[in-house]
Amino acid sequence: MSKRNLTRRSFVKVSALAGAAAAVGASMTGCMQETAPVEETPSNEQPLSSTAGLTKMRTSCHGCIQMCPAIAYLKDGVVVKLEGDPEAPVSRGSLCIKGLNQLHTMYSPRRILHPLRRAGERGENKWEVISWDEAITEAATHIKDAIDKYGNYAFFASVGGGGSYSFMEAMTLPMAFGSPTVFEPGCAQCYLPRWALSKLFYGGDDQSVADNAVQEIFKVNDNKTEVVVIWGAQPSVSETAESGRGMAELRANGVKTVVVDPNFSPDAVKADVWLPVRPGTDTKLLLSWFRYIFENKLYDEEFTKYWTNLPFLIDPDTKLPVKAQELFPDFEQTTPENTPAYVCFDLKTNEVAPFEYSAPADSAVDPEIFWSGEFNGKTYKTAGQIYKEEADPWTLERTAEECWLQADKIEEAIKIYVENNGGIVNGVASDMTESASQVPLGCMGLDSIMGRINKPGVTMTQKGGGYFATMTDSGEKVNTRPVTFNNGFGGMFSDMYGVGAVIGMSDAENEARIKALGEQMPDSQRILNKLLQDRLGMKDHKGLYAWCHSHIPTVRNAIATGEPYKPRVWFDMSGNKLAMLGNAKSWYDVFPEVDYIIGQYPHLTSFHIEACDLVFPLREWLEEPMVNMTQLDTQWLQNECVHIGETVSHSIPAAQVVAKCREMWGGHIPGGLELGDGTAYLGDPTEEAVKNTAATTLGAPDWATLQADVDAYVPCVTPDYWNYNQHEQLCDDGLPSGFATESRKVETYCQMLIRMARNGYPYCYPEPQEACDDYSPICVPIEPAESPYEGMPGYDAEYPFVLTSGRVPYFHHGTMRHAPFSRELFPCAEIRINPASAKELGIEHMDWVKVTSRRGEVHARAYLTEGIAPKTVWMERFWNPECYDASQANPTGGWRECNVNVLTKNDAPFNEVYGSYTNRGFTVKIEKSTRPENIWVEPEEFEPFMPTAEMLAEAQTKDVF
Amino acid sequence: MKNTLVIDLDRCSGCDSCVAACKHENQMNLGVVRNHVSAVGPSGTFPDIEMYWLPMQCQQCENPGCIEVCPTGASYRDEETGIVLVNAEDCIGCESCLTGCPYGVRHMNPATNTIEKCTLCFQRKDDENWEPACVHNCCCGARIFGDLDDPESAASKAVAAAGSNTHTLYDPANLAPTTVYILSDKIAKWQDEPVEVTRYEK
Repeated sequence: MSKRNLTRRSFVKVSALAGAAAAVGASMTGCMQETAPVEETPSNEQPLSSTAGLTKMRTSCHGCIQMCPAIAYLKDGVVVKLEGDPEAPVSRGSLCIKGLNQLHTMYSPRRILHPLRRAGERGENKWEVISWDEAITEAATHIKDAIDKYGNYAFFASVGGGGSYSFMEAMTLPMAFGSPTVFEPGCAQCYLPRWALSKLFYGGDDQSVADNAVQEIFKVNDNKTEVVVIWGAQPSVSETAESGRGMAELRANGVKTVVVDPNFSPDAVKADVWLPVRPGTDTKLLLSWFRYIFENKLYDEEFTKYWTNLPFLIDPDTKLPVKAQELFPDFEQTTPENTPAYVCFDLKTNEVAPFEYSAPADSAVDPEIFWSGEFNGKTYKTAGQIYKEEADPWTLERTAEECWLQADKIEEAIKIYVENNGGIVNGVASDMTESASQVPLGCMGLDSIMGRINKPGVTMTQKGGGYFATMTDSGEKVNTRPVTFNNGFGGMFSDMYGVGAVIGMSDAENEARIKALGEQMPDSQRILNKLLQDRLGMKDHKGLYAWCHSHIPTVRNAIATGEPYKPRVWFDMSGNKLAMLGNAKSWYDVFPEVDYIIGQYPHLTSFHIEACDLVFPLREWLEEPMVNMTQLDTQWLQNECVHIGETVSHSIPAAQVVAKCREMWGGHIPGGLELGDGTAYLGDPTEEAVKNTAATTLGAPDWATLQADVDAYVPCVTPDYWNYNQHEQLCDDGLPSGFATESRKVETYCQMLIRMARNGYPYCYPEPQEACDDYSPICVPIEPAESPYEGMPGYDAEYPFVLTSGRVPYFHHGTMRHAPFSRELFPCAEIRINPASAKELGIEHMDWVKVTSRRGEVHARAYLTEGIAPKTVWMERFWNPECYDASQANPTGGWRECNVNVLTKNDAPFNEVYGSYTNRGFTVKIEKSTRPENIWVEPEEFEPFMPTAEMLAEAQTKDVF
Repeated sequence: MKNTLVIDLDRCSGCDSCVAACKHENQMNLGVVRNHVSAVGPSGTFPDIEMYWLPMQCQQCENPGCIEVCPTGASYRDEETGIVLVNAEDCIGCESCLTGCPYGVRHMNPATNTIEKCTLCFQRKDDENWEPACVHNCCCGARIFGDLDDPESAASKAVAAAGSNTHTLYDPANLAPTTVYILSDKIAKWQDEPVEVTRYEK
């Protein structure tokens, strides 16, 4: 650590100076009046605003997924200034360093402005500029030839890595080519588990604070939030200007916070209680919260009894809730077939009894939450009892020991949580571990037993519209039984192609529906259902169906071995895969097995240099029309402020390639999935279509009308966005609406996961997937595979530290490493180490160290801080585009030197439901080292990344397509 | 007028948006800054620790040592706004003013051989709502700009609302910095001589 600036020494210096100044006859005090020059600049002209002569355009940042509203100022067609839009309700004019630095990345000499064909060997970074016609034809020819020769499954797609807009496009591109294979380094490792589980758990929005799911807590007016538990998230870092700003406002208004994070993040710094949990052991901590809340009866008893499935008796053989008819053959159900009656232990009669769905006040029974006993010679437990027994070992003391925490701090945190209205926001941390499904089950489970669902001030809500609108809200006038569609965002592929059951319909209704859809669209249903069955890794990790993605390690193995089929032609739609994929070298090693690799991005990354044969140039966010994510109930325009070179919007290259392939095949892609007259690929093929999509999303008839008066359409307010207590509202069947689940209640015991493991229901339907071992329907304790505890499987004394990772404010995923003003502040990879541990290793602040895992080794600068436990270390992901700068004598791909994903673990054990691998919570060793070659650290070294006159002079060009 | 910054450290998360906003607004070169944000701490021993971030820029002193020692008069106070400025045309790059300022917030720009410092975005002074870029874009709502001589300014109101939680930088030489920092003990204890943790290549 260094003392800087405000040391006593510098003050001694200034005091001495004061004396010296006095010696020459001036006094330090009052000098300003004497020495300030009279500064009059008489002018008859009106004072000019600093933005006079500049063109102001309203837009949205795309530096991260939250997309804060921003304002761009242009001079002579060049964007010269960016700032946050003060009218944005959550970001309130804030714009973070990622957004501001787009001024440089937009005009970076790293930009690629024309299609590039590889001219040397892969890795040599030699390219030739080709025309768009050549590029599209070349890509289409390779794809068609591979499919003709090897079949549809030879094609595969991927996306992700930051600056990644192509979620829907990546999901649907392989469908168009009749292939099931697509992956994204995020997905199972980022957001999918939390997103998808909330749909199964209660049919509503998830608890992610980073992905615009949680909005209620940031409400400007009538905010009822008193506490936010930030579990494995750092909004002040990851989404600094939006949810970070939102958290700053909440804290300023007296909202209490608890932060669960191994790292002393800015949100932890400000928290009322910080719980620096041992990486990967969050499940144990969650269970201690359950235990304490159960034990001290702090839960919302009425909500838990009547609105969750915890009182249901669970069949010990099937693990599913027992239906009333199974135990009571004479029972006559009065509710519709889509609303099953279950069984509970009735406290009114002290007997096991049918438990029909009803409003709490109308219930015939008073269900016991925690019960076990015999009925008809068989021992049953309630789901609540099962949860209680699972939580029982996790006393505060044992949890403190295993999670490296203090028992009194855990208790203080729980008390703050239960005594104040609010909820849990759940971050990406658990997605990056084996416990990717169990942690969200626990976080949602806690809020559910506290009754914090669909209420003002909580995080688990069902909003009335916008991007995260659920399919459960059936309109203003008539409520119907809520249901959840499945496969794709909002379950969109279910009706589109006739696959997937609808949760909330009875089995008979689902059978009838899917049969009818199959008769309407036999080819679609057959093709997509087959793709679902054949998708790589689906037998074991069926949760991936929610976003139609493959299991990444299984894809890698298929590329390496050709089993069960060999992906050969790769269309990647965004980012640096070598920086983003776990165990990056294992991927680098299989690149030679892939015959042809297509990339697209605004600039060249390690992946493009090491792998790609063809690269399409994409627009930066200042160039690409789009509609942002929501801020509260508002949506904003990402505008086409400028456009240079032959760059195109992200959806266009794939659309053009698909069209070319169709043409080459004479109209249809054999085995491809089609939609109407087109293919399954859902991405606009031209800039005009891109623009009109954005315009119509904002309620404008077309792009020209929108541009004529942007303020008339932006922000676009979603009507009736805020809704509460929807489950209590009366439905057309005379019952309260309830939730869009099988039981119509919150399924704190996530019973759908049991069905899913056995046959892929509700996704892989009507034709099923093979069974795998059952998934756990509740939070269960998980010890990381590479445990730091001697005697545990996976312990290795050679690797004594547990490494976890997270973001810094300068970068989003793999982005902005070529932004000079980001790099001069945070020039290189850093590893946070506790000073006591560092001392034992002879490591000082800012020493370079080598970090080694069982997969490989990388280098980073040591940042010593008491904000991390002695046996935990923390890194940010890094990669180094300077490594292949033209000025380097021995260029490298820039992904081996400092990239934490050289260390991460991409083999089993995986999360059972989602197949997530271990990006966090594995063990490493640390040794002193030296800076790797090619790495820049001094501000001036980043000069080659600064915008050049040539780039600034690059003419505005017309749309290519 | 006493135009200055009031910075709420209870809010500041050290995100460096203010640094980038300043550098872009003032079209600055790599390696030159007019402001920076230092981590103060964590102090204590894990896990019983606390920290805050300290954004630093010209403190707009009432008795500026920089003006006192400037041999050419390039450093001056603007009468109309009360802001301490450098007239680049008169600056000879002698760096005398660096010794007159104990806060390390003046920097030589090697490209121009002149001293740069925060001007509170003086070029925006005639804007409808004069607001420095760092204030506008601050991701925590932590930076407030205004005239502390005007009790109705946002800056004055923030100071009044903060009560006893206001601080100014350590000032043994009686420079009377006007920049006000707000920090409550709930977040961390204010340190007169803070240990700032920085990044550098050894």
